Formats: sequence, structure tokens, C-alpha cells
Amino acid sequence: MIDITNVSKEYNLGNNSFLALDKINLHIDAGEFVSIMGSSGSGKSTLMNIIGCLDIPTSGDYAFNESSVSKLSSNELASLRNKKIGFIFQSFNLLPRLNALENVMLPLLYSGKAADERKSLALAALDNVLLNDRVSHRPNQLSGGQQQRVSIARAIVGTPKLILADEPTGALDSKTSLEIMEIMQSLNKKGITIILVTHETDIAQYGRRIIHMKDGHIIKDEK
Amino acid sequence: MKLTDLLNLAQKSLRANLLRSILTSLGIIIGVSSVITMLSIGSAAKEEVTNLIDKFGSNNLILRSQTSRGGVSLGSNSSNTLDLDDMKALLEEIPSIRAIAPQVSLSTQILANNNNWLSSVTGSNNDYFLMGNWSFESGRSFEDEEINSGSRVAVIGKTVQKKLFDTIDPIGEMIRINKVPFTVVGTLEEKGGSAWSDLDDTIIVPLKAAKQRLVGNKFPGKKIRSMTIKVKSSDLVSQTEIDIDRVMRKQHKLSANANPDFVVRNFAQFLNARQESANVMSILLATVAAISLIVGGIGIMNIMLVTVTERTKEIGICMSIGAKKSDILYQFLIESLLISFIGGILGVIIGLSLIFGISEYFNWKTNIDLGSIILSFSFSSFIGIVFGFYPAKKASNLNPIDALRYE
Repeated sequence: MIDITNVSKEYNLGNNSFLALDKINLHIDAGEFVSIMGSSGSGKSTLMNIIGCLDIPTSGDYAFNESSVSKLSSNELASLRNKKIGFIFQSFNLLPRLNALENVMLPLLYSGKAADERKSLALAALDNVLLNDRVSHRPNQLSGGQQQRVSIARAIVGTPKLILADEPTGALDSKTSLEIMEIMQSLNKKGITIILVTHETDIAQYGRRIIHMKDGHIIKDEK
Repeated sequence: MKLTDLLNLAQKSLRANLLRSILTSLGIIIGVSSVITMLSIGSAAKEEVTNLIDKFGSNNLILRSQTSRGGVSLGSNSSNTLDLDDMKALLEEIPSIRAIAPQVSLSTQILANNNNWLSSVTGSNNDYFLMGNWSFESGRSFEDEEINSGSRVAVIGKTVQKKLFDTIDPIGEMIRINKVPFTVVGTLEEKGGSAWSDLDDTIIVPLKAAKQRLVGNKFPGKKIRSMTIKVKSSDLVSQTEIDIDRVMRKQHKLSANANPDFVVRNFAQFLNARQESANVMSILLATVAAISLIVGGIGIMNIMLVTVTERTKEIGICMSIGAKKSDILYQFLIESLLISFIGGILGVIIGLSLIFGISEYFNWKTNIDLGSIILSFSFSSFIGIVFGFYPAKKASNLNPIDALRYE
């Protein structure tokens, strides 16, 4: 599903340049649950952003579903993010003005689905994360765990093939973290590929494959 | 994305900053309301002038006496220097004159049918009706015999008819002008009000009758108050004015540079001059309104730029879940369009209230012109799109990952 070949990413910081990824090679199959670990600055978030088509590599090639992403236009990338990839962030990244249901419907708005279809799909997704009683609450009326479940619902509402979770439990207590990780596991059992970025070892253990990164290199890849 | 979805998102974010949204649209509100008010007053003034020219008759010159002392007109108290010989000379020597209506006038008490009314009485001939574009509602004008002998007959205007006779047919009835009995032979069609005076509050009697019975001491012998002179065509009016001056100077034995004891007024010209100054005023107001709309547009642009910066992270989130550049562009464009659109609506409402207030309070005539409403409304929406475009473009060109990382 994911083929990363010799991918480098270089950031220009004024006069200095910083190599966040240094000729990375990585292959991930459909249905895998991969945890990426590493300290800050190791390049794990950069790798995640490239996989999520939010960022493009400076050099090397990245193929998603056997088609090269570097050749896609910004509209095609947006469509890929919309239909094939779901994002879960550490800080939830919900839109504060919209309620839970509207937040979950937003990706469907961009894919051009009809209003009633949007609503039924979003309600089903919220049902999936056991939040069907909070649909008209705004993010600031929800707890951290509930917000993260809304954002999971938003990630899965478009039935993606891949979910990218960037420190999804980073802002949550341990009990809520467990709940979130159980949801992630059940999604993986339904066949969705999950790539999880974390620096917590116990969270990383949910992955059936753990990749360790340091200074822009993959230093360990355990299955 | 569909327009309804875009509108829904836009109204949510505008409502989140309600006060700011309203303040932003203030420039548009002021611009639109002043455009509508200005155009309404302007078009009403224009219509009024056209109506007045129509009512007073076109191609008419008015010749009045004027005291030579310092050349200052003292109005009705000035000594009367015009007489019927002057009229005869003008008719004979100036071929471009079609007709002349000599006039004397007074304001006096009218009694009839046990009613009492103060009106203005004019003594003249039948040309008076022609020059003032008067038509008869009932009855007739004066017969030659009545004019020559100074019969006590009268033609009355609509207001006089209403005040004295109400629903009774006044033809053949007796009215007492200054205690002198006159028989009503005709009634005039209503001309409608003017801003200055009620033209229908008038009584016309034969010149000779007026001079003999009503104003004999003021206008002795052949003396008259003024003449209304009808010129054959509009392009002859200016030359006729010069000719009148020449003939009158000869009549009154005045040298070319002496102060004249008469004055020629071109009423249409005066009205047109008034129209000109009204136009200048309109252009001035239009400029102010246009500047206000443009400043309003800049205000929208300013606030939208702030909004884009404020919502950079949000733009990143939307892009991460699949918003295309065009989705972001439209989202912000619709927001600025909505600000100017709502500003336009409020501007129309305020403009219409202003028009209503002005016409009520100052008793000015105003026209509500649908065209001007549509014009200012679409212009304000246009402003919204033009000035909203740059911020929206800026938002849509953000790099997803940079926007997402923005704190």
C-alpha cells in the first residue's frame, strides 16, 4: 500500500538547511498496524506528513496504492486525503464553531455528498465511536476523550483505507487513552491500515510492527 | 461544494464574530444608503423641474417692471413702468414673439356660496391660458367682447373651486372679488402642487375688468404689472431676449448703458440652472458614496486578511481532511460576499428609511427608484467579491502542512 523509496526531506531554516528525513525506504502493506517511535526531531512527524500527502518529499519517490504521489496535482492530493486517508491529531483539531455532527460531516462536504447522505454517514460514524448522544455538542462542550472520538469519527466517515494518528493519546489521561486505542484496534480489525506516531512505549505496543526513528533514519523495524 | 453549504459555513463564521461582521459592513451600509437617498432626491428634483417647466409653459419669457434705483427690484412695491404701449411695440417689432399676455394681479378675499377664501386674482387675456399650459375642465375662456368691454367674468382654478363651491357646479355662479361680483364662466384643470406654491389657487379675469374694478389705483391708465411673452421656438428665445431689451430701451428712452426699469426673466433657464446645481450636488454625493463603498471594500479586505491569519490552523485542518484550494477560496469569498450583501440589504433599508424621513420631515418630494436600489446593491456585492478575492486567494494558497502547524 505504501512504498517509500529513497525519500529525503530538507527544510530550509534561514541560511541553514535541516535534513528531517535522510533517504528513507519503507514498505507498508494494507491492513498493517504500524507504530512509529522516536524522540522529537527524529523525523517521525515529517514521515507521517509525507505519507498523509500533506507534505511532499524533497527527493525520492512515494507511491500510495502503487501510484506515485509526486506526480499528483494539489487537487488530486486533496481528493486522496479526502477519500483514502483519515487523520487523527494530538490536539484533535476540530473546528470550534461546528458541533460534533457538523465536524464529522465536513469531509463529506468536500467530497460533494448530498446533505441527507452526509448526515446519515456522520451519525453512523459517531455511533461507531459510541458518541451518538453528543452529536449537537460543540468541541468546547466535550471532554478530551470525547473530542478525540469525534475526530476519529471524522477520520473514518469517508471510509478511508489508511488512518494516520499523530500522538492521538498525547493529550489524554491513561484511561481515556486505552479507550481510544481500543477503537483504533477495532478499526484495524475491520481492515483499515493504521499508522500511529507516538513516543509512549505502551501505546506503541498496540502496533503489530514498531518502527524506531532517529535523526531522519529508521534505526529499527520490529515485527 | 454546493452554494448552500458554502453559505451555511459562511454564516456560521460571520455569526461567531457578529459585532465585527456588522462593523465591517458599515462602510457598505453607509455607501449604499447614501447612493439610494441621493439618487432618490436627485431624480425627484429633476422630475420637479421638468414638471415646473411643463406647468409654467416652455419658451416663455417674463417681462416685469423694475425700479431703476440701484437696479434692485423691490418686487410688487416697485413702481409700475410697463404699459400696454410697450406690449404693442414688442408685438409689432419682434417677429419671433408669438403672443403676449399682459398681467395685473392682486391677492384678495373671495366670497361665494357663503364661503370665504383668500386667493390671487390675475387680470389678463386668453393668451394667458395658452402660455401657462392651462386646459379647461369645464366652461370656456373669455370671449373677445368680454375682453374688450371688461366684463365681470372669471375663470377659476381647482383649489378655488374646491374651497368655494365644493361639489356644486360653479359655472354661472357668482363670486365676489374684493366685493365686486363676477360670474364664473370656466374652471381650469388641476395642475397639482409644486414645492413653491399652489398653482391651482388662482382666479383669472379679463385685464380690463381687473384694471377698472380691482386694481384701478395701482395700475392707472395703460399701466400693467408684467407680461408673459411666448417665443415661437426654443432656439429663438435668447435672441428674443436681446430684442426685447432693445425695443424696451427705445420705448422707455433709455440709453444702452443706463439701468433699465424693466427686467426679462427666462423661467425655464432659471429652472435649468437650478437643475444644473442639483446635478453638481448629485455628482458630489455620488463621489462621496463611491468613496464610501470603496473604503468599505477595503475594510472588508482588511478584516478578511485578519480572519485568514486567525483561521490559518483551521484552513490547515480543512485541507487535511480533503478541502481543495478552490473550496477554501470559495469559502472565504462567500464570507466577504455575504458581508457586503448583508451590508447592501441594511443599506437599502436605511436608505429607504432616510428617503421616507426626508420626505416626511422636510416635505420634499422623493422618488424611490428601483433601478438605483438594484444598482447600488449589485455594486456592493461586486465590491465584496473584488476586495474579498485577495484574502481568499491568500488562504487557498496556503501550504497544508504550514497551515496545520500554525499556532
